[in-house]
Amino acid sequence: MIGSSIMPLIIASLALIFGTLEPRFFSLQNFGNILIQSSFLIVLAVAQMFALIVRGFDLSMGQVISMISVASALTMAHLVSVMPDAPVMAVMIGLFFGLSIGLVAGLINGFNIAILGVHPFVATLGMLGISQGIASTISGGFPVFGVPDVLAKTFLHSDFLGVPIPIAMTILVCAVAAIVLNRSVFGRMLYLVGSNPRAADAAGIPTKRVLVGAFVSCSLVTAIAALMLTARTGSGEPLMGGGLMLQAIAAAVIGGVSLRGGEGKVMHCVIGGVFITMLSNGMNMVRVEGYFQMIVLGVVVITGVFIDRLRHR
Amino acid sequence: MKFDGLIRRSNNLLRRVGFLPLMVLLAVVLFSLAEPRFLRQANLINVMRGTGFLVLVACGQMLVLIVGGFDLSVGAVVALSSVVSALTMVGLGADGAMAVWMVIALGFAAGISAGLAVGLINGLCVNYLKVSPFMVTLGTMSIAAGVALYVSAGAPIYGLPEEFTQIFGRYRFFDLPLVVYAAAAMVAVLWVVMNKTVFGLYVYAIGGDPAAARNSGISASAVLISCYVLCGMLAGLTGLLLTARIGSGEATLGSALMLESIAASVIGGVSLRGGVGRVGNVVLGAFVLVLVSNAMNLMRVDSKIQTVVVGIVLIAAVAVDAWRQRVRQRKVA
Repeated sequence: MIGSSIMPLIIASLALIFGTLEPRFFSLQNFGNILIQSSFLIVLAVAQMFALIVRGFDLSMGQVISMISVASALTMAHLVSVMPDAPVMAVMIGLFFGLSIGLVAGLINGFNIAILGVHPFVATLGMLGISQGIASTISGGFPVFGVPDVLAKTFLHSDFLGVPIPIAMTILVCAVAAIVLNRSVFGRMLYLVGSNPRAADAAGIPTKRVLVGAFVSCSLVTAIAALMLTARTGSGEPLMGGGLMLQAIAAAVIGGVSLRGGEGKVMHCVIGGVFITMLSNGMNMVRVEGYFQMIVLGVVVITGVFIDRLRHR
Repeated sequence: MKFDGLIRRSNNLLRRVGFLPLMVLLAVVLFSLAEPRFLRQANLINVMRGTGFLVLVACGQMLVLIVGGFDLSVGAVVALSSVVSALTMVGLGADGAMAVWMVIALGFAAGISAGLAVGLINGLCVNYLKVSPFMVTLGTMSIAAGVALYVSAGAPIYGLPEEFTQIFGRYRFFDLPLVVYAAAAMVAVLWVVMNKTVFGLYVYAIGGDPAAARNSGISASAVLISCYVLCGMLAGLTGLLLTARIGSGEATLGSALMLESIAASVIGGVSLRGGVGRVGNVVLGAFVLVLVSNAMNLMRVDSKIQTVVVGIVLIAAVAVDAWRQRVRQRKVA
């Protein structure tokens, strides 16, 4: 009961502190920045949540993002050089290709975990190595340029009913995820398998298929975020994913998704994502040194999870 | 009939020796056939050195895994130890007033205490705050890396005492670098501790069933915290030896060691669910990882593709292990 209201309270007081130290923090433009920046992290936290609910996590997220970014950028750049008058077509095919890679990565993770019985840590760690290798091999280790401008124009600079596209996309992803988790049979099964796998198995739930579904959902949502990020940078980046996996897990867990499985709501991811983004945005504004920010982030992660534990007692 | 006995005997052998040593043997034979340079002395020393560093970190990681935890901070601790010890030695040795041996000893003390401090924080948070080890060590990883970058300003620290790099980095007893002896000694000590002492028994007991261990009167808190502390100290020691090897303090040192140490432990059959793990097998696990990447280097496999191969080897090794366990359970049932 305390917990559900404590994180918004912490976010509000944090905003107040940053606002007093640096008045520009409260400007409309900066709030817009925070919202757009946090949209990527929220989508990634939602992706991790699918794995976290079934007692897993996806360590390969960052490198899968890099792989999808590079592969879809290469596809688009190649297609647009072959057929210069159909950039929209090239972008569509590139996006579709990126989503398919996400699907395949999720299927492989799910197969290794559910069917072969490999621990999620090892399975996704292996996938981390594989996707990192593929990303740097096909790109040669350099950013991929030549992506048609249409991509950035549609997915970054335009808006939908006045809402910037990254935020609109995030709302869409969150809405779909919430419907799947709360209103679909698959969603109910996810929570059951996560909170008690043996009972779920005994109750006749196809646990293995549900596990595969969880990791496929995770990678598909990751792919959406990867494509959004590629639209933002306007190029395919082999190092794009870097620290995003840890940030996404931290955001989800600080927001209230349990690492023990069976628990997690879309709202948790939104709260956690906004919190972490606002923290780093605020620290940048009051000019906290980058290296020192890492220390603060570490302390915040531990205290955040500790507060979450208190709530469960 | 004769053939049948042969199969049974080889099956027994497989069960007694285990799967891993045979895999290592097979890898060595294959690599030396495919690449003659593999068996040269210089290369074998390289393999031993790489294995030594990895074994030191993996031994600590194994302890934490057996008590049912995780340590994501070991790589950052290696970097922190490197920076802190280098700054200590450079600072104390600057005016030349202090004896070199004293400077080096204090450098060692500083590096290992840095590891001890992070390990202690990890242990205390996991034990008393009941925060999941994954999140605690994720937090301390960020903190340790942040401190290392902050105090070094992100730049390498030069000017280490000549004796430090000479002895701990380059000196060889009977052709082998010091880190190999350090790792061997550590493995021997850990084997005795895990198999012949009460402490070892408690570590397995806590990892196997924490509640039962506590109920039977084991001071679980003390044992759990010491595992994290030992893991941190071993990472600190590794940081020192790596610093001596490359000759400067670096805040980016050891970044790959976190994942590699977990991978080595897991390939060596340590369970991520706690309670299971043998020192000898972890050494073999580390050896497999180093062997595979060394052989690929010799065969000029592109370093970018190497990560793909290592990923597949990791998943395959664990999948085979999981499959063998399922078969065994079916036989029992």
